[in-house]
Amino acid sequence: MNKKIDFTLNGKAVSRDVPTHRLLLDLLRDEIGATGTKEGCGTGDCGACTVMMNGKPVNSCLILSGELAGADIVTIEGLKIGAELHAVQKAFVQDGGAQCGYCTPGMLMMSKALLDSNNNPSEEEIRYALSGNLCRCTGYAKIVQAVQDAAAMLRSKNP
Amino acid sequence: MSEELTVIGKPVTRVDAYEKVTGQIVYGYDLTLPNMLYGKALFSPKAHAKIKKIDISKAKALPGVVAVVTGADAPWTHGEAVKDKPFLAHGKVRYIGEPVAAVAAEDEDTAQAAVKLIEVEYEDLPVYIDPEEACKPGCVEIHEDYDGYRKAPFMVRGAAPNINEHFKLRTGDVAKGFAESDLILDEKYYVPIIQHAAMEPHSAHAQWDKESGRLTIWVANDAPFRALHEISEALAMDKEKIRFINPAQGGGFGSKGGLKCEPIAVALAFQTGGRPVRVKFNREETFISTLTRHAATVYCKSGVKKDGTLVAREMTIYWDAGAYAEKSPTVCIRGSLPAPGPYRIPHVKVDGYAVYTNKPVAGSYRGYGIPQGAWAGEQQMDELAIKLGMDPIDIRMKNIFVEGDMSYWGEQLHAVGLKETLIKATEAIEYGKKSPINKPGLKIGKGFACIQKPTRSPTTSNAGVTVNAQGEVTVFAGTVEIGQGCNTILSQVAAEELKVPMDKVIMHQLDTDVIPYDASTTSSRSTYHMGNAVRSASIHAREQIMEAAAPMLEVGVQELALGDGKVFAKDQPQQSLPIGEVVKRKLGINGVVRGEASYTYEIGKDLDLETGHSDHASAFYMYATQAAEVSVDEESGRVRVLRMSAAHDVGKAINPLNCEAQIEGGVVMGIGSAIHEELIIDATGKVRNPSFLDYHLVTSLDCPQLIPIIVECHEPEGPYGAKGLGEPGLAPTPAAIGNAVADAIGIRIYDLPLKPENVFWALQKNKKSAA
Ligand code: FES
Ligand code: FES
Repeated sequence: MNKKIDFTLNGKAVSRDVPTHRLLLDLLRDEIGATGTKEGCGTGDCGACTVMMNGKPVNSCLILSGELAGADIVTIEGLKIGAELHAVQKAFVQDGGAQCGYCTPGMLMMSKALLDSNNNPSEEEIRYALSGNLCRCTGYAKIVQAVQDAAAMLRSKNP
Repeated sequence: MSEELTVIGKPVTRVDAYEKVTGQIVYGYDLTLPNMLYGKALFSPKAHAKIKKIDISKAKALPGVVAVVTGADAPWTHGEAVKDKPFLAHGKVRYIGEPVAAVAAEDEDTAQAAVKLIEVEYEDLPVYIDPEEACKPGCVEIHEDYDGYRKAPFMVRGAAPNINEHFKLRTGDVAKGFAESDLILDEKYYVPIIQHAAMEPHSAHAQWDKESGRLTIWVANDAPFRALHEISEALAMDKEKIRFINPAQGGGFGSKGGLKCEPIAVALAFQTGGRPVRVKFNREETFISTLTRHAATVYCKSGVKKDGTLVAREMTIYWDAGAYAEKSPTVCIRGSLPAPGPYRIPHVKVDGYAVYTNKPVAGSYRGYGIPQGAWAGEQQMDELAIKLGMDPIDIRMKNIFVEGDMSYWGEQLHAVGLKETLIKATEAIEYGKKSPINKPGLKIGKGFACIQKPTRSPTTSNAGVTVNAQGEVTVFAGTVEIGQGCNTILSQVAAEELKVPMDKVIMHQLDTDVIPYDASTTSSRSTYHMGNAVRSASIHAREQIMEAAAPMLEVGVQELALGDGKVFAKDQPQQSLPIGEVVKRKLGINGVVRGEASYTYEIGKDLDLETGHSDHASAFYMYATQAAEVSVDEESGRVRVLRMSAAHDVGKAINPLNCEAQIEGGVVMGIGSAIHEELIIDATGKVRNPSFLDYHLVTSLDCPQLIPIIVECHEPEGPYGAKGLGEPGLAPTPAAIGNAVADAIGIRIYDLPLKPENVFWALQKNKKSAA
């Protein structure tokens, strides 16, 4: 069953006529063409598809379009602040937090969610927050380091 | 040139980082093409069966379906070492997950619905799950036409059924060696099937243009030239009619070479009137229908003198190939050859058998057979030491390869940094010192393991490097950026030789129409082979620029130097020209200087098929030692790795940050294979855990403290002295952990993975036998 759905994507109003069972992940990637959000499993087990929905991180492969009415969605394409990279993006570049980069958009969105609520997380808190985001390349060490460095950048800006 | 290096050896950040952190980069799985159709495959539900009948009429009739294909429409086979794999099953199926038919439709939902309408009748055949069973006399051949297949010349067929390769190594006389030994140990070890589980699942796009006769394939494949060759051979189509284009690749670890989605996409593309077709595997399909790592059963027998001197080692290894040969013959050869370990051993006998079974296809996997051999050999080294009352470090020091040693396969070794890795890795975790952790029910132990890894040889890499009138440098290299950082390393090489800033260098997208041939992005070969090619091509471009600049600056070529993007006179540095300006004056505003180079490392004689000997089996060898500290919970059997050091002889670290990243990633992948991962396949051949919920990858919570250590033992042939590093991080990890677990609980476990129930039962058994 198709339904007209209105929501906000990266600050812009979007209106789409889609089947209500269409997953947010597929809506983003296939219908809107925003492929920055990745599909690693489609079953909620890898975190590659993490986006922010109303300020909270969600697996977009578990969200149906029918749930989207009025929602505020932020994806990796909306993480930059104007032309400038978000602190967590800068830190991933500097520390080597991305190798193949396929888990990276999900990692970044989850890291942003953590840093939004806690700008001084311990290593344990970071590891816990990212435990649903699988990475097969990095061994996580440089990702954790990057989140710590991003937190420090954010604190120096907004002490 | 003896000048100081400007970017080689520096921890520069990755050249692809920006496009990755912004989500701009387009992976194979992200790609859509204009007017594209959606392809879906029907996978075999039977592990071994004849196909009696396929009825596609209902699928064809579904509105929105454009094409339905079966083996009858795609009567082609392919394969690297053995041409044994059909595009779509022909007449029979050999594993659960084998593509049997496929549909192209206007949308994904329709394609999926149509696949469900295909009806297939099967007649069951005996199913072989265990390679040792599959090669017993009287077994049915899984490939009844095996003898008729085109095979690589280096292959030796075993005498028994279902063996696709029998590798033999014969050195000295093991019987004599065992007779002279003071202590002999003989054990059986097991390594289960695991999967690469690259985060990007597999996909391929294909388009056939009838008018021009051109076939174009877009795929994140880490060996596009191999894939092109296989398609060309299978279809008997001229190579220049086929074009591979690589979108970005989200990991691979060996799983994305060869052909998986590609044959399905190609078979469909011939039936769609020129429209491109996309075939994407979901995660479950990626688990069952791409590649796995070989399970291995390893029989290992060692004889030593009282003082720890190794006298003889005999190994028999059964490599579980799965249903098609893929890389099995070469995994069998290159995994079995160094399996006895990096030691001087006078009497060695190895028999490696790659055996067909009715399971998903095993192929190359980061480490290429080294982890399986090391799991056995390195644990047995510890056992020998313990039985002799020796320190495990001392027994290795006594036997370990050092510079100039003659290996047991007849090659004199050079650039051997193994000893230094052993010392540094064990020191880093204070091996030999008791852990201060003291919790009831928790046992702490330490262990380590050493490896040596060859690279695929001989192979060739070609490269082109252009410099334009704007002073920008473009590198044309067929190495695939799979996450390992090659684009950064190769950019560093070009920047170094042309003395331009890193941001002036771009890597051309991999497209076989414009990129010169490269063997593959495998086997940790790229820094060495492609590094040499890009270096020489850059030098070739540089020479042309220098020659052009000499008359412009009115000095001889010998008097010129490069620096900071400029050509200048050595004794009058203010007399200079930007390299772009030189190109412009010589060739005009759109002028381009192009350097070209080819690099092949010629090995000596091929391996002797009877003895396995060669005076030069590999372009270079990588050496590593890793050491682990673990805790074992006696109640639950749970093993935790607390810290892990990893010392790797990389020759020369072209980018230390990237070296660390490769080591860390490899170690953690190795930890997964040691304590979590196992693809469970039941007696019917069905994979029971094809999802990330049931197949446990290491998460951020399971990681120990990682201590990467770079050792640089200069390799004279390598670019700037570099070797390779992609694979070895994984290889000694399970054995190091196994040794640490044995140290903790005093019980040796011979089967991987060291998951809680396995460790728990080992503890229980021990309690019983003690009581
Ligand atoms: S794709 Fe959504 S969790 Fe894996
Ligand atoms: S960088 Fe490749 S999966 Fe994380």
